[in-house]
Amino acid sequence: MARISTIIKQRETRTLLFLILLFVVVGFINTDYLSLQNIDKSLKSSLLYIVLAVGMTFVLLTGNLDISVGGTLGLSAAVCGTILRDGGNIFLAVIAALLIGAFIGLINGFGVIKLKISSFIMTLALLSITRVVQVLYTDGKWVENIPANVKELSKIDIFGMNLLSFFVIVGVIFVQVYLSKSRKGRYYTAIGDNVDGAISLGIPVNRYIAYSFVISGISASLAGLIFVSQIGFVSTNAGAGIELTVIAACVLGGVSLIGGIGTVIGAALGAIILTSINSALVFMKVPAFWNDTISGSLLIIIVVIDALLVFHANKKAKKVRLNARVLQKGAQG
Amino acid sequence: MGAPKNLVKLENIRKSFNRNTVLEGISLDLNESEVISIIGGNGSGKSTLMKILTGIYKADAGFIEIKGEKADHLNPFAAHERGVYLVPQEPLLFPNMTVEQNLTIGFSKDKNEVREESVKLIKELGWNIDLNRFAATLSIAEQQQLEIIKGLLRKSKVLILDEPTSTLTFSETESLFKVIEQLKNSGVGIFYITHRLDEVFQISTHAVILRDGKITLKGRIEEFTKEILIKGLLPAGNEHHYEDKFERRRSNHEGEEPILKVENLVGDGFKNISFEVYKGEVVGLAGLVGAGRTEIAEAIYGINPILSGKVYLDGKDITKLSINETVDSGLAYIPEDRFLNGIFSISSVRNNITSQLIKRHGIFTKKKLEEQVANQYIDRLRIKVSSQEDEIKSLSGGNQQKAVIARALSMNPKLIIMDEPTRGIDAAARGDIYSIITELKSQGFSILLISSDLEEIERISDRIYAVYQGTCNVCLNLDEINAVNVMKAAFGTFEGSDKGHG
Repeated sequence: MARISTIIKQRETRTLLFLILLFVVVGFINTDYLSLQNIDKSLKSSLLYIVLAVGMTFVLLTGNLDISVGGTLGLSAAVCGTILRDGGNIFLAVIAALLIGAFIGLINGFGVIKLKISSFIMTLALLSITRVVQVLYTDGKWVENIPANVKELSKIDIFGMNLLSFFVIVGVIFVQVYLSKSRKGRYYTAIGDNVDGAISLGIPVNRYIAYSFVISGISASLAGLIFVSQIGFVSTNAGAGIELTVIAACVLGGVSLIGGIGTVIGAALGAIILTSINSALVFMKVPAFWNDTISGSLLIIIVVIDALLVFHANKKAKKVRLNARVLQKGAQG
Repeated sequence: MGAPKNLVKLENIRKSFNRNTVLEGISLDLNESEVISIIGGNGSGKSTLMKILTGIYKADAGFIEIKGEKADHLNPFAAHERGVYLVPQEPLLFPNMTVEQNLTIGFSKDKNEVREESVKLIKELGWNIDLNRFAATLSIAEQQQLEIIKGLLRKSKVLILDEPTSTLTFSETESLFKVIEQLKNSGVGIFYITHRLDEVFQISTHAVILRDGKITLKGRIEEFTKEILIKGLLPAGNEHHYEDKFERRRSNHEGEEPILKVENLVGDGFKNISFEVYKGEVVGLAGLVGAGRTEIAEAIYGINPILSGKVYLDGKDITKLSINETVDSGLAYIPEDRFLNGIFSISSVRNNITSQLIKRHGIFTKKKLEEQVANQYIDRLRIKVSSQEDEIKSLSGGNQQKAVIARALSMNPKLIIMDEPTRGIDAAARGDIYSIITELKSQGFSILLISSDLEEIERISDRIYAVYQGTCNVCLNLDEINAVNVMKAAFGTFEGSDKGHG
């Protein structure tokens, strides 16, 4: 049993080790991969995924799933983009995007806690709806001609580091401290770990599930803002399919799909790994379509290992429980 | 020294689910430094009563007073606030959190303060729990200790322990009893739910016996003996609810080859189990829920692993065969939970009856044959359906169970294991199932009957083996079968035949 506890402790270390291994191996094949410039670039291109993964972690911790993040990202990016294009105030654009994210999260939360719809179905439905709303809003056109100074924002450096990267890293650490150290932060984990236990302690389970969806929605709109500033235009299918990458990143980082286990640092590391594999293939001159195969295989390996560990732990626990009932010879008073 | 302070006062509590009255006229007082053992068979209402006290259920009538204050709108959280804490049979911990996190979560106080208090408490109790371990790695006993600490941290004055020793080893039980003693001396009141009569005399100050939702006996522990407790657990006056139409045989099986022979079976939850079932015999496995009866049946059938020992069916060794193979050798199993394991709920009655048989067909199922088989059993077992196509979900519990029996019979088994065949079935259908069992017996089928219904097992069985805490040392022959003996055997206190109550 002591072994299992150390493995739980090592979930994030494992992800970090894998990331280092990836850089070392690819760097061995092509030394350019280890240049500071490339590491900075890898980090920059994974920012969007990191932000999404942080929000997703909240939802996953409570034992739910949020498929709608891609749609939220697209819609808030489109709204923010049009406001900027039409000469609107940048603060207005940011606030509008965040409100959209929060609103979508609220609807998700409402469906899951009040209408008792499974989170998978509820968020899947909202994914489709937000896509259509985005097409209606933009008349099916791309949002282009966003002022160049917005794109400049993503290129500002601070202490020799990209400003956005800096903000995201500080944000991840901040959220991690909230989740693991603050009193209420641990409620999310508790809900996914043992709902009945959480209820009996008086934790407002439904409210925290709703919060988790709102947080995920806001994260998705933040990712939409990063999208606008990094890419500079918003296509009608911006963020399509991103939800699966994000969930994969979380799982890679040690977040359990059943809930109750995981950290946002792990999820962020998972996101960096997935984008790094992408660029690593370029450096290794492997055709880009291998990317999905490799990250897919990686995912299966990690999920299978976790499932086996849980299976064996449960089996052993059941055995211990049953055998404790058996009358011991001479024990009868 | 004044009168002891009253902690809990329950008066005239009544609770029914649907039209089924579970509790009636329950009045109970718990004072400081009292340990009240609550004893009762399965379904006697113990758990419901405790769930009402902890606010999980709401009583239909009567009132509750906690520490002299009326408690009207209890919910689990409010019960905690008022100092009532239930340590459930299966602890409700967060397995992926550390011990410390489990203790500190849910408090509005400062975390460090709670931790210091916990450390102090653990030291006072003389326990040795590392705060940094993950809850998933704790033994069941340690998990229970953790639950008790959680209760004490909330300054609980009333602790409810729901069968705490059912999953503890002997030494763990001893240390739990020491803790109960300490708590008692410090003024905490305890409700102690148990099946084990020895424990009652070891730790409690008072005993209460619940039967069919009513308190049949209560008083100070000094006034009781095991005999009195057993008597209080028995149905009033041994009334005959069912017509006694079972011709039971007291046959001499010497020289005869048993249909089922189990030798020194060891597995998870039971050990050294030996018994025989002969042709045309109904053998009962009596015992309490959790005694290991279902585990034994599942091991024989091939669901659970057998660690050692042998099982012979009609002379053939079927130990460690897969389910598929035990079925082919002539074993049928009617599982305990009909909805979970017994029926395919959205399939038709016909498909349910033939669901096992179709594996003997070729690649395609034979619809004509299926219809014929289904018809035959619907007639023979008097299953009430408007057509074979009815969804089995739409039938009453009794008819569903008959369809499950039909499925078992369709394989023409040598032995049928029935686990709680009449649970959740109305009286009329019960009678039907009993006559089916009698009929099967006269046709030469052998039946191994697992039942918690004392009256049922007493009336139908030709012989009874009692399973107690995973062991099976008592065999009651037909002339020894009576309510008192079966009850004693189930509670592990049978020492010899007691003809006085026959």
